[in-house]
Amino acid sequence: MHEIVYDVFARKNRGDALTHVGFVDALDDETARVYAWKTYDEENWFEMCVVPRSAIIPVNRQVTAPRGHRGNRP
Amino acid sequence: MSASTPDLTALDSATREALRRLITTLADSKRLMGLRYSDWLLGAPSIEMGIATSSMAQDEWGHARLLYAMLKELDVDPEVVEHDRAAEEYASLDVLDAPFDNWAAVVSAMVVVDGALSVALESFGRGGFESAGTRIPKMLAEEEFHASLGVAWYRRLAGAAHEAHALLREATEAQLPSVLAWLGADDEPARALLAAEITDAGSSQVEAFRDAVREVVVAAGVDVDAIEPASAWDEKRGRGPGAPDEGAVERARGDRNRSLFVE
Repeated sequence: MHEIVYDVFARKNRGDALTHVGFVDALDDETARVYAWKTYDEENWFEMCVVPRSAIIPVNRQVTAPRGHRGNRP
Repeated sequence: MSASTPDLTALDSATREALRRLITTLADSKRLMGLRYSDWLLGAPSIEMGIATSSMAQDEWGHARLLYAMLKELDVDPEVVEHDRAAEEYASLDVLDAPFDNWAAVVSAMVVVDGALSVALESFGRGGFESAGTRIPKMLAEEEFHASLGVAWYRRLAGAAHEAHALLREATEAQLPSVLAWLGADDEPARALLAAEITDAGSSQVEAFRDAVREVVVAAGVDVDAIEPASAWDEKRGRGPGAPDEGAVERARGDRNRSLFVE
Protein backbone atom coordinates (compact mmCIF):
# COMPACT_ATOMS: atom_id res chain seq x y z
CA MET A 1 0.00 0.00 0.00
CA HIS A 2 1.55 3.31 -1.11
CA GLU A 3 2.26 5.77 1.68
CA ILE A 4 3.14 9.44 1.55
CA VAL A 5 5.53 11.32 3.84
CA TYR A 6 3.94 14.26 5.64
CA ASP A 7 5.92 16.74 7.74
CA VAL A 8 4.25 17.82 10.98
CA PHE A 9 4.34 21.39 12.28
CA ALA A 10 2.88 22.68 15.54
CA ARG A 11 2.80 25.60 17.96
CA LYS A 12 2.04 25.52 21.68
CA ASN A 13 0.57 29.01 21.98
CA ARG A 14 -1.14 31.56 19.80
CA GLY A 15 1.59 33.77 18.37
CA ASP A 16 4.36 31.15 18.64
CA ALA A 17 6.19 30.20 15.47
CA LEU A 18 5.12 26.94 13.85
CA THR A 19 7.86 24.42 14.58
CA HIS A 20 8.73 21.25 12.72
CA VAL A 21 8.04 18.46 15.22
CA GLY A 22 8.43 15.36 13.05
CA PHE A 23 6.89 13.39 10.22
CA VAL A 24 4.42 10.57 9.58
CA ASP A 25 3.88 8.12 6.76
CA ALA A 26 0.21 8.13 5.81
CA LEU A 27 -2.21 6.91 3.16
CA ASP A 28 -3.67 10.34 2.47
CA ASP A 29 -4.36 13.77 4.00
CA GLU A 30 -7.05 12.46 6.35
CA THR A 31 -4.98 9.67 7.85
CA ALA A 32 -2.01 12.08 8.06
CA ARG A 33 -4.10 14.47 10.20
CA VAL A 34 -5.03 11.71 12.67
CA TYR A 35 -1.61 10.04 12.75
CA ALA A 36 0.07 13.38 13.44
CA TRP A 37 -2.37 14.32 16.21
CA LYS A 38 -2.12 10.91 17.85
CA THR A 39 1.66 10.51 17.43
CA TYR A 40 2.87 13.94 18.55
CA ASP A 41 0.51 14.32 21.49
CA GLU A 42 3.13 15.06 24.16
CA GLU A 43 2.05 18.71 24.26
CA ASN A 44 -1.28 20.47 24.49
CA TRP A 45 -0.85 22.03 21.05
CA PHE A 46 -2.65 25.22 20.13
CA GLU A 47 -2.29 24.38 16.45
CA MET A 48 -0.93 21.51 14.39
CA CYS A 49 -0.77 21.06 10.65
CA VAL A 50 0.69 18.56 8.18
CA VAL A 51 2.27 19.15 4.80
CA PRO A 52 3.04 16.53 2.17
CA ARG A 53 6.81 16.57 1.90
CA SER A 54 6.47 16.56 -1.88
CA ALA A 55 4.74 19.97 -1.67
CA ILE A 56 7.79 21.64 -0.11
CA ILE A 57 9.68 23.60 -2.76
CA PRO A 58 13.42 23.90 -2.15
CA VAL A 59 14.74 27.44 -2.30
CA ASN A 60 18.49 27.30 -1.90
CA ARG A 61 19.24 23.57 -1.70
CA GLN A 62 17.88 20.70 -3.74
CA VAL A 63 17.90 18.20 -0.86
CA THR A 64 15.83 19.51 2.06
CA ALA A 65 15.24 16.39 4.11
CA PRO A 66 17.60 16.06 7.10
CA ARG A 67 20.01 13.16 7.07
CA GLY A 68 18.21 9.95 7.98
CA HIS A 69 14.76 11.27 7.12
CA ARG A 70 12.85 9.97 4.17
CA GLY A 71 11.57 12.24 1.45
CA ASN A 72 9.47 11.87 -1.65
CA ARG A 73 12.22 13.28 -3.83
CA PRO A 74 15.53 11.59 -4.49
CA MET B 1 -35.96 16.31 24.05
CA SER B 2 -35.86 18.43 27.15
CA ALA B 3 -32.70 20.27 28.17
CA SER B 4 -33.76 20.31 31.80
CA THR B 5 -32.30 17.91 34.33
CA PRO B 6 -34.82 15.33 35.49
CA ASP B 7 -35.05 14.75 39.20
CA LEU B 8 -33.55 11.27 39.37
CA THR B 9 -35.25 10.56 42.67
CA ALA B 10 -38.57 11.30 40.99
CA LEU B 11 -38.03 8.71 38.24
CA ASP B 12 -40.00 5.54 38.73
CA SER B 13 -38.06 2.37 39.37
CA ALA B 14 -38.53 1.08 35.83
CA THR B 15 -37.04 4.25 34.33
CA ARG B 16 -34.15 4.24 36.80
CA GLU B 17 -33.43 0.64 35.83
CA ALA B 18 -33.63 1.58 32.13
CA LEU B 19 -31.13 4.39 32.72
CA ARG B 20 -28.83 1.97 34.55
CA ARG B 21 -29.08 -0.43 31.61
CA LEU B 22 -28.28 2.32 29.10
CA ILE B 23 -25.23 3.59 31.00
CA THR B 24 -23.96 0.04 31.54
CA THR B 25 -24.30 -1.03 27.91
CA LEU B 26 -22.55 2.15 26.74
CA ALA B 27 -19.75 1.80 29.29
CA ASP B 28 -19.24 -1.93 28.71
CA SER B 29 -19.20 -1.42 24.94
CA LYS B 30 -16.60 1.32 25.29
CA ARG B 31 -14.52 -0.92 27.56
CA LEU B 32 -14.66 -3.82 25.10
CA MET B 33 -14.12 -1.57 22.07
CA GLY B 34 -10.92 -0.31 23.67
CA LEU B 35 -9.86 -3.83 24.43
CA ARG B 36 -10.43 -4.92 20.81
CA TYR B 37 -8.42 -1.93 19.57
CA SER B 38 -5.65 -2.86 21.99
CA ASP B 39 -5.45 -6.32 20.37
CA TRP B 40 -4.05 -4.56 17.27
CA LEU B 41 -1.42 -2.28 18.80
CA LEU B 42 1.31 -4.47 17.34
CA GLY B 43 -0.62 -5.82 14.38
CA ALA B 44 -1.74 -2.64 12.65
CA PRO B 45 -0.39 -2.12 9.11
CA SER B 46 2.06 0.65 10.08
CA ILE B 47 3.78 2.12 13.14
CA GLU B 48 1.64 5.24 12.79
CA MET B 49 -1.55 3.20 12.71
CA GLY B 50 -0.39 1.21 15.73
CA ILE B 51 0.11 4.46 17.65
CA ALA B 52 -3.31 5.71 16.53
CA THR B 53 -4.89 2.40 17.55
CA SER B 54 -3.21 2.66 20.95
CA SER B 55 -4.57 6.18 21.37
CA MET B 56 -8.07 5.09 20.38
CA ALA B 57 -7.91 2.28 22.94
CA GLN B 58 -6.99 4.85 25.61
CA ASP B 59 -9.86 7.10 24.49
CA GLU B 60 -12.36 4.25 24.72
CA TRP B 61 -11.20 3.23 28.19
CA GLY B 62 -11.40 6.83 29.34
CA HIS B 63 -14.94 7.11 28.01
CA ALA B 64 -15.85 3.86 29.75
CA ARG B 65 -14.52 5.17 33.06
CA LEU B 66 -16.56 8.38 32.76
CA LEU B 67 -19.70 6.43 31.89
CA TYR B 68 -19.29 3.92 34.74
CA ALA B 69 -18.93 6.87 37.14
CA MET B 70 -22.43 8.06 36.14
CA LEU B 71 -23.86 4.97 37.84
CA LYS B 72 -23.11 6.56 41.21
CA GLU B 73 -26.02 8.92 40.60
CA LEU B 74 -28.28 5.86 40.54
CA ASP B 75 -26.77 4.56 43.80
CA VAL B 76 -24.87 1.84 41.96
CA ASP B 77 -21.24 1.29 42.95
CA PRO B 78 -19.13 1.65 39.78
CA GLU B 79 -16.24 -0.20 41.43
CA VAL B 80 -18.34 -3.36 41.62
CA VAL B 81 -19.63 -2.95 38.07
CA GLU B 82 -16.13 -2.41 36.67
CA HIS B 83 -14.28 -5.11 38.56
CA ASP B 84 -16.60 -7.73 40.03
CA ARG B 85 -18.92 -8.96 37.32
CA ALA B 86 -18.97 -12.23 35.43
CA ALA B 87 -18.84 -12.28 31.64
CA GLU B 88 -22.54 -13.17 31.46
CA GLU B 89 -23.40 -9.85 33.10
CA TYR B 90 -21.60 -7.72 30.52
CA ALA B 91 -23.93 -5.57 28.44
CA SER B 92 -21.45 -4.75 25.66
CA LEU B 93 -22.49 -5.04 22.03
CA ASP B 94 -22.35 -8.70 21.05
CA VAL B 95 -20.16 -7.98 18.01
CA LEU B 96 -17.41 -7.22 20.53
CA ASP B 97 -17.65 -10.61 22.25
CA ALA B 98 -14.80 -12.12 20.20
CA PRO B 99 -11.55 -10.64 18.87
CA PHE B 100 -11.55 -9.31 15.32
CA ASP B 101 -10.15 -11.88 12.90
CA ASN B 102 -8.38 -9.50 10.56
CA TRP B 103 -7.56 -5.85 9.92
CA ALA B 104 -10.59 -5.40 7.65
CA ALA B 105 -12.85 -6.34 10.56
CA VAL B 106 -11.12 -3.74 12.76
CA VAL B 107 -11.64 -1.07 10.11
CA SER B 108 -15.26 -2.06 9.66
CA ALA B 109 -15.76 -1.83 13.43
CA MET B 110 -14.27 1.68 13.47
CA VAL B 111 -17.06 2.75 11.12
CA VAL B 112 -19.92 0.49 12.17
CA VAL B 113 -19.47 -0.26 15.88
CA ASP B 114 -17.65 2.88 17.02
CA GLY B 115 -19.98 4.87 14.75
CA ALA B 116 -23.06 3.36 16.38
CA LEU B 117 -21.68 4.09 19.84
CA SER B 118 -21.25 7.74 18.84
CA VAL B 119 -24.84 7.94 17.59
CA ALA B 120 -26.07 6.50 20.89
CA LEU B 121 -23.86 8.91 22.85
CA GLU B 122 -25.11 11.90 20.84
CA SER B 123 -28.68 10.93 21.68
CA PHE B 124 -27.88 10.46 25.37
CA GLY B 125 -25.91 13.72 25.49
CA ARG B 126 -28.84 15.70 24.05
CA GLY B 127 -31.27 14.32 26.61
CA GLY B 128 -32.06 15.50 30.07
CA PHE B 129 -29.44 13.62 32.09
CA GLU B 130 -27.05 16.37 33.16
CA SER B 131 -23.89 14.29 33.56
CA ALA B 132 -24.29 13.02 30.02
CA GLY B 133 -24.79 16.53 28.72
CA THR B 134 -21.57 17.76 30.31
CA ARG B 135 -19.30 14.75 29.69
CA ILE B 136 -20.32 13.42 26.30
CA PRO B 137 -19.30 16.41 24.10
CA LYS B 138 -15.59 15.81 24.87
CA MET B 139 -16.00 12.11 24.11
CA LEU B 140 -17.59 12.95 20.77
CA ALA B 141 -14.80 15.40 19.95
CA GLU B 142 -12.27 12.56 20.44
CA GLU B 143 -14.46 10.22 18.42
CA GLU B 144 -14.22 12.55 15.41
CA PHE B 145 -10.64 11.35 14.96
CA HIS B 146 -11.74 7.70 15.16
CA ALA B 147 -14.40 8.36 12.53
CA SER B 148 -11.97 10.15 10.21
CA LEU B 149 -9.50 7.32 10.44
CA GLY B 150 -12.18 4.66 10.02
CA VAL B 151 -13.64 6.25 6.91
CA ALA B 152 -10.22 6.82 5.31
CA TRP B 153 -9.15 3.23 5.92
CA TYR B 154 -12.55 1.84 4.90
CA ARG B 155 -12.41 3.58 1.53
CA ARG B 156 -8.81 2.46 1.03
CA LEU B 157 -9.57 -1.21 1.72
CA ALA B 158 -12.79 -1.10 -0.29
CA GLY B 159 -10.80 0.06 -3.29
CA ALA B 160 -7.98 -2.43 -2.76
CA ALA B 161 -7.48 -5.98 -3.94
CA HIS B 162 -10.38 -8.41 -4.14
CA GLU B 163 -9.45 -10.18 -0.90
CA ALA B 164 -9.41 -6.99 1.22
CA HIS B 165 -12.67 -5.82 -0.34
CA ALA B 166 -14.31 -9.20 0.33
CA LEU B 167 -13.13 -9.30 3.97
CA LEU B 168 -14.39 -5.77 4.53
CA ARG B 169 -17.80 -6.56 3.09
CA GLU B 170 -18.04 -9.78 5.09
CA ALA B 171 -17.17 -8.00 8.34
CA THR B 172 -19.57 -5.14 7.72
CA GLU B 173 -22.45 -7.45 6.88
CA ALA B 174 -21.68 -9.47 10.03
CA GLN B 175 -21.54 -6.42 12.33
CA LEU B 176 -24.52 -4.42 11.06
CA PRO B 177 -27.47 -6.61 12.19
CA SER B 178 -26.61 -6.60 15.89
CA VAL B 179 -25.63 -2.93 15.82
CA LEU B 180 -28.98 -2.02 14.23
CA ALA B 181 -30.85 -4.09 16.83
CA TRP B 182 -28.91 -2.41 19.66
CA LEU B 183 -29.49 1.14 18.42
CA GLY B 184 -33.09 0.54 17.44
CA ALA B 185 -34.21 -1.19 20.64
CA ASP B 186 -37.92 -0.58 21.20
CA ASP B 187 -38.50 -2.62 24.34
CA GLU B 188 -39.98 -1.35 27.60
CA PRO B 189 -36.71 0.15 28.98
CA ALA B 190 -36.09 2.00 25.71
CA ARG B 191 -39.63 3.38 25.72
CA ALA B 192 -39.23 4.46 29.36
CA LEU B 193 -36.10 6.47 28.49
CA LEU B 194 -37.89 8.06 25.55
CA ALA B 195 -40.86 9.01 27.76
CA ALA B 196 -38.49 10.55 30.31
CA GLU B 197 -36.76 12.50 27.50
CA ILE B 198 -33.40 10.94 28.33
CA THR B 199 -32.78 9.54 24.83
CA ASP B 200 -34.28 9.71 21.35
CA ALA B 201 -36.40 6.91 19.95
CA GLY B 202 -34.45 3.91 18.70
CA SER B 203 -35.88 4.45 15.22
CA SER B 204 -34.40 7.97 15.15
CA GLN B 205 -31.00 6.65 16.21
CA VAL B 206 -31.10 3.98 13.52
CA GLU B 207 -31.98 6.59 10.94
CA ALA B 208 -29.10 8.83 12.08
CA PHE B 209 -26.73 5.87 11.95
CA ARG B 210 -27.82 4.77 8.47
CA ASP B 211 -27.37 8.36 7.25
CA ALA B 212 -23.88 8.49 8.75
CA VAL B 213 -22.55 5.25 7.26
CA ARG B 214 -24.58 4.82 4.06
CA GLU B 215 -22.08 6.47 1.71
CA VAL B 216 -19.13 4.80 3.43
CA VAL B 217 -20.17 1.14 3.45
CA VAL B 218 -21.51 1.28 -0.11
CA ALA B 219 -17.83 1.36 -1.13
CA ALA B 220 -17.64 -2.28 0.01
CA GLY B 221 -20.86 -3.11 -1.79
CA VAL B 222 -23.03 -3.00 1.36
CA ASP B 223 -26.49 -1.42 1.26
CA VAL B 224 -27.14 -0.42 4.87
CA ASP B 225 -30.84 0.13 4.12
CA ALA B 226 -31.20 -3.51 3.05
CA ILE B 227 -29.74 -4.96 6.27
CA GLU B 228 -32.28 -6.17 8.83
CA PRO B 229 -31.59 -5.90 12.56
CA ALA B 230 -30.81 -9.12 14.41
CA SER B 231 -33.90 -10.62 16.04
CA ALA B 232 -32.40 -12.21 19.18
CA TRP B 233 -32.45 -9.80 22.14
CA ASP B 234 -31.64 -9.90 25.84
CA GLU B 235 -33.87 -7.24 27.39
CA LYS B 236 -32.23 -7.39 30.82
CA ARG B 237 -28.81 -6.37 29.47
CA GLY B 238 -29.96 -4.43 26.38
CA ARG B 239 -27.86 -6.42 23.90
CA GLY B 240 -27.96 -9.61 21.88
CA PRO B 241 -27.46 -13.04 23.45
CA GLY B 242 -24.04 -14.41 24.46
CA ALA B 243 -21.14 -12.93 26.41
CA PRO B 244 -17.56 -11.77 25.87
CA ASP B 245 -14.91 -14.48 26.12
CA GLU B 246 -13.57 -15.02 29.63
CA GLY B 247 -10.07 -13.82 28.70
CA ALA B 248 -11.43 -10.51 27.48
CA VAL B 249 -13.44 -10.02 30.66
CA GLU B 250 -10.41 -10.79 32.83
CA ARG B 251 -8.57 -8.04 30.97
CA ALA B 252 -11.55 -5.67 31.12
CA ARG B 253 -11.84 -6.17 34.88
CA GLY B 254 -8.08 -5.81 35.28
CA ASP B 255 -7.84 -9.02 37.31
CA ARG B 256 -4.08 -9.44 36.95
CA ASN B 257 -3.32 -5.82 37.81
CA ARG B 258 -5.59 -5.88 40.80
CA SER B 259 -4.02 -9.04 42.16
CA LEU B 260 -0.90 -6.92 42.78
CA PHE B 261 -2.75 -4.45 45.01
CA VAL B 262 -1.54 -4.38 48.59
CA GLU B 263 -4.21 -3.25 51.04
